[in-house]
Amino acid sequence: MSVFKKIVIANRGEIAVRIIRTCREMGIHTVAVYSEVDAAAAHVLEADEAVLLGESEPSKSYLNIERIIAVTKSTHAEAIHPGYGFLAENSEFAKCCETSGITFIGPPSAILRDLGNKTLARRIMKSADVPVIPGMLEASHDITLLRQEAERIGYPVMVKAVAGGGGKGMRIVFDPEAMEESCISAMSEAEKAFGDGSLYLEKHMEAPRHVEFQMLADHHGNVVHLFERECSIQRRYQKIIEETPSPAMTPTLRNEMGKVAVSAIKASGYINAGTVEFLLDQSGQFYFLEVNTRLQVEHPITEMTTGIDLVRQQLEIAAGNPLTFTQDDITHRGHAIECRIYAEDPEANFFPSPGTVALYREPCGPGMRNDSGIYEGFEVPMEYDPILSKLIATAGTREAVRQRMIRALKNYVILGIRTTIPFLIDVLSSPEFAKGNTHTGFIDRHFENWSQGKEDEDVARIAYVVEEIASHGRPSAKVSEKGWPTPWETLGEWRM
Amino acid sequence: MKYRLKILEEMVDVVVSHSDSEHTVQAIIEGKEYHVHYQSIVDRCFHLVMNGKSTEVFVATGNQGKHIFVNGRTFFVQDADQLLAHRARRRGPEETPGEVTPPMPSVVLRIMVKEGERVKRGQGIVVVSAMKMQTTLVAPSDGTVKKIHTSIDAKVAPGDILVEIEEEAVENE
Repeated sequence: MSVFKKIVIANRGEIAVRIIRTCREMGIHTVAVYSEVDAAAAHVLEADEAVLLGESEPSKSYLNIERIIAVTKSTHAEAIHPGYGFLAENSEFAKCCETSGITFIGPPSAILRDLGNKTLARRIMKSADVPVIPGMLEASHDITLLRQEAERIGYPVMVKAVAGGGGKGMRIVFDPEAMEESCISAMSEAEKAFGDGSLYLEKHMEAPRHVEFQMLADHHGNVVHLFERECSIQRRYQKIIEETPSPAMTPTLRNEMGKVAVSAIKASGYINAGTVEFLLDQSGQFYFLEVNTRLQVEHPITEMTTGIDLVRQQLEIAAGNPLTFTQDDITHRGHAIECRIYAEDPEANFFPSPGTVALYREPCGPGMRNDSGIYEGFEVPMEYDPILSKLIATAGTREAVRQRMIRALKNYVILGIRTTIPFLIDVLSSPEFAKGNTHTGFIDRHFENWSQGKEDEDVARIAYVVEEIASHGRPSAKVSEKGWPTPWETLGEWRM
Repeated sequence: MKYRLKILEEMVDVVVSHSDSEHTVQAIIEGKEYHVHYQSIVDRCFHLVMNGKSTEVFVATGNQGKHIFVNGRTFFVQDADQLLAHRARRRGPEETPGEVTPPMPSVVLRIMVKEGERVKRGQGIVVVSAMKMQTTLVAPSDGTVKKIHTSIDAKVAPGDILVEIEEEAVENE
């Protein structure tokens, strides 16, 4: 069966560009959609067609369901790829696609709805004998009940929003006194972010690893896993470095977790590419966390080690085609690391740093891949997620790929805005990372109040002077700004 | 030839002296001597050989300084003399602490005070949002809100004065 002739990509930035690339290789025409501020964004330039959605505010553009459906119809596209974020996990959007005769490239809307409800997802998993973190199976607004449950589970507990995602509405509570206040603030945050303030509790785990399995499931009942990714290095509950294989993995554990992940996918009736997330504790016990019902940000490391293009698989599955391989056909080779390059100031608590990219040079060399949504001169808008690009490295061993990534990051030039690059270099260079002692508390434990090292400051100072001399030709050509004499003026006759 | 260069809050003198050969300078930074050979490779990219050590650097000129890339780190380097000149031209050399300005380009979500209102140091004045992150800008000192220069949904940038606060005269308690 053939796949689609034309699809709409309801996203922006690096992920939209990445999807367009596979579409082009498959001969599928692409329609980019964009907001006013994104008229010259990379995904717009890359696609075969581009249609303006509306104003920059997400609700009027990338979250505007009605408008995106209308654009799909008017461009005669057959399917929509939602990427990640925005509408990717929105069951209402998937439902609108279904009723409009448009293929949503992702799971059916009913599955998005079920797995989007985190306590329902926990109940589904429990019924399939998938180990879940001890905690509640029904969400509640009732603070008295939540306090009782916390006593039953035992502090510290994790307060989570039933409609949660992206760390919103999440709190760790260490003692009963802090419980009420944490619940109130988490409820209000969740209410604002998801329109649903109800909460549930899970036992807080000490320094677990975040290990997830990439899954593919087709319409014909075939389910396979493409091994694990470890994504323990996080800030604000958001991943910044991912790798595969996990340094904690053994063949036996991988086999066991892979089997559980397959039953999790089967239990929920899942179709298309998805990810089953687990927490792995220090004793080797693992617990279901959630199913991510979309293409993951960190999917490239799986592609680089298995050789399977996940976007291509998503398109084939959405078109109704069966998987062309079985579990036994899938192998992985070497080690891969992904670093997320965010427009953030790592010295200022990762505060966003939008602005114009004044200078941009991508690293290259053996084993490198860069999924980028920016270019030199691009103005990074303040309206959307601060991800700029993802740098992916592969090599034969973990140590080789770690060194390779450090080398590449040192050659990744982005000037004009602050980025996470210098922070990532220091994390990868740290002895604890090198040893593979990674866990979700890693950044807080080892990199609190990080600031950039001072080596190379003299090089920067000299570069400043050299640029002054080179750009102004003869020193005397340096023009002073009004109101204050520069040394060039006060020194008199002086030449190089 | 002396430059006074600032990286963050640290000011350091760079004494540059002339050399006979082209593309060569001598520099002294905090007592350390550097023999520098430089070459402009392409626009804004320079190859430096400092005391025999080779480094590629990238320089982008920004607002009141240069962004300089060295080995994966970026430094914002400012010429203190030029900064002084800039300040003198704009609003006199003295600092003006009674102004609330955003740290990043952002959008105003909420204005939490009214003109004429008395505020305490650290009190929330304006909430701005950038890239899905919200931050509250606080009063830099005790005082009275003199003027509000912004409105909800306004796009603002560092240096824009959103709210002016008149500092309280020091009174006897």
